[in-house]
Amino acid sequence: MNLERLVRRQALSHPVRALLTVGAVAVAMFLLCFLRSIVTSLDAAVKESSGRRIITASAVSLFQALPASYSAAIAEVDGVATVSRFTWFGGVYKDPENFFAQFGTDPQLLLDQYPEIELPAEHKQAWFDDKRGAIVGIGIAEKYGWSVGDTVPLLGTIFPRAGGEPWEFTVRGVYRSTRANVDEMTMYFHWTLLDEALESGESMGPRGTSVYLIRLDDGWEGEEVAQAIDDYYAGGPQRTRTQPEAAFQADFVNMMGNLPTFLGMIGAAVLVAILFGVVNTMTIAARERLRSMGILKAMGFSDRVPIRLYLMESTMLVLIGGGLGIGLAWLTQPGLRAMFGTFIPVYQVAGETYLAATVACVGIGLLAGLIPALRAARLRPVEALRRGA
Amino acid sequence: MGDPVIQFRGVTKSYRKGGQELVVLDHLDMDIEAGEFLALMGPSGSGKSTILNLVGGLDLPDAGDVIVGGVSVPALGGDELSTWRARHIGYVFQAFNLLPVLTALENVELPLLLTPLKKAARREQARYALEIVGLADRLDHRPKQLSGGQEQRVAIARAIAMDPTILLCDEPTGDLDRDSADQVLDLLGRLSAEYGKTVVMVTHDQKAGEDARRVIHLDKGVIAPVDA
Ligand SMILES: Nc1ncnc2c1ncn2[C@@H]1O[C@H](COP(=O)(O)OP(=O)(O)OP(=O)(O)O)[C@@H](O)[C@H]1O
Ligand SMILES: [Mg+2]
Repeated sequence: MNLERLVRRQALSHPVRALLTVGAVAVAMFLLCFLRSIVTSLDAAVKESSGRRIITASAVSLFQALPASYSAAIAEVDGVATVSRFTWFGGVYKDPENFFAQFGTDPQLLLDQYPEIELPAEHKQAWFDDKRGAIVGIGIAEKYGWSVGDTVPLLGTIFPRAGGEPWEFTVRGVYRSTRANVDEMTMYFHWTLLDEALESGESMGPRGTSVYLIRLDDGWEGEEVAQAIDDYYAGGPQRTRTQPEAAFQADFVNMMGNLPTFLGMIGAAVLVAILFGVVNTMTIAARERLRSMGILKAMGFSDRVPIRLYLMESTMLVLIGGGLGIGLAWLTQPGLRAMFGTFIPVYQVAGETYLAATVACVGIGLLAGLIPALRAARLRPVEALRRGA
Repeated sequence: MGDPVIQFRGVTKSYRKGGQELVVLDHLDMDIEAGEFLALMGPSGSGKSTILNLVGGLDLPDAGDVIVGGVSVPALGGDELSTWRARHIGYVFQAFNLLPVLTALENVELPLLLTPLKKAARREQARYALEIVGLADRLDHRPKQLSGGQEQRVAIARAIAMDPTILLCDEPTGDLDRDSADQVLDLLGRLSAEYGKTVVMVTHDQKAGEDARRVIHLDKGVIAPVDA
């Protein structure tokens, strides 16, 4: 016998109530980790972005294509090492629900500019050699069960084929990403395939390219090169907006409005709600135990003992629930990463989130236990015995 | 007679009820000798429970002094009072004495957590106390699984586990049938006679009054002592 055992027995004296409390805390803590991770994952994508890459898009809108002819001129700007083209394809795989990003791009330049994309050497060559070939992130490959050699039909929406039939790509490689700024949920194919189809009238849609991705020469700063490009096209034919990759990613995050603030508010509300829930549980429990506390005092236990008992009980309940919730957040990472796809490049629960959630649990546990604890400590034993009878 | 172990000196206690002053004890003087088995009797509301609460320091007098074993109880405060109570006083109430979530043995072990005793020694001492009350075969029963009489005996075992000098029992047989009540009374008598405990028992039970060696009748804060 010790006080810990007493705490455990009392906490479990109403198993259903204990279970509901633990369950509620678990759900809330999972939600908290989840919401926080959306924000940190988006942040990580911005932070991990390379300072050596800048992106040129139309100054009008991201959805406005730039002329294909720009690449030659941009390549001439001082400080530009390589320029690659990226065209947003927007194809549909079987069902519009199956959303993932597809880009027509320059395969060799892409892999050269993005060392974060990890692709086996034989996949690389096979992709370079096959004009209808594509590479896909491990995330979508697993999601749709694709492997190398499979044919993937995509119905063009921006680029419908003249006959109305889908485009067909052959999976030539499956890549992994080594950093948070590059997702594993994208398909890349040959930009030239798309351009030739538009040229020949096989497909309809806007000519050009959505953005240019520029890798800087060593010793050059992104801002000056970006300024030089934008200055060059200041007079048209179409004005450009060139930004560091990080700013571009951040822009994308900003497009979602004040998402981080909004999620933060939901998180705070969840925290407060769960605090109320645990306070409620502890208050009900304390009311039932009035007599037990009076008996303890009549036995010669000091006022600190009820305080300890309630604090231990509520932190125990919250830590078990929190542990489950945090564990769930950890376990669901791969599933959620696949679900978010390109929306959040690499969904991941950060170490600081686990820590913050644990601290929140301890805080809620102590706070929720403190209210009945102080009341029990202040209660005179005669009152406790009289009222609890 | 020996030394008085409990002395009430001009003890006054009143409660405020709905703006009205209710005087429960009015300048009460009373001596209780060491090793006595005393029954406190009197009509409901006459202040019997109040007396027990004052002896154990669960409540404070408005005036006067309560001296127990040479110590002025109202002068003790906070932790000092708790420690003193643990050491010298064992309480037994009318009902619901036990923590429902603990077994009989665990309930008896509970006050021993206040001692420096090791786990094994605590168990041993608790088991011994339960043996004295004749419940060595009910160690692992929860209060719900015990009869009313057994529950009261476990409560008595717990009250004596710390080997206190004084047992304060507030209607310990109030909820019991005749047979169980007799067992409990017998046990309290034995604790006083054989173990030298001072037993102060509040009761409405005429038979209990007869079992005790002295009866104090209380009425409207006034004592009418009658030797049994
Ligand atoms: N905390 C309190 N607040 C107000 N009145 C109280 C309080 N405690 C006791 N009283 C009153 O004091 C009087 C004496 O109470 P006490 O419990 O000592 O009586 P008692 O002799 O034990 O009665 P019973 O036989 O019914 O148990 C009663 O009228 C009771 O209502
Ligand atoms: Mg009473």
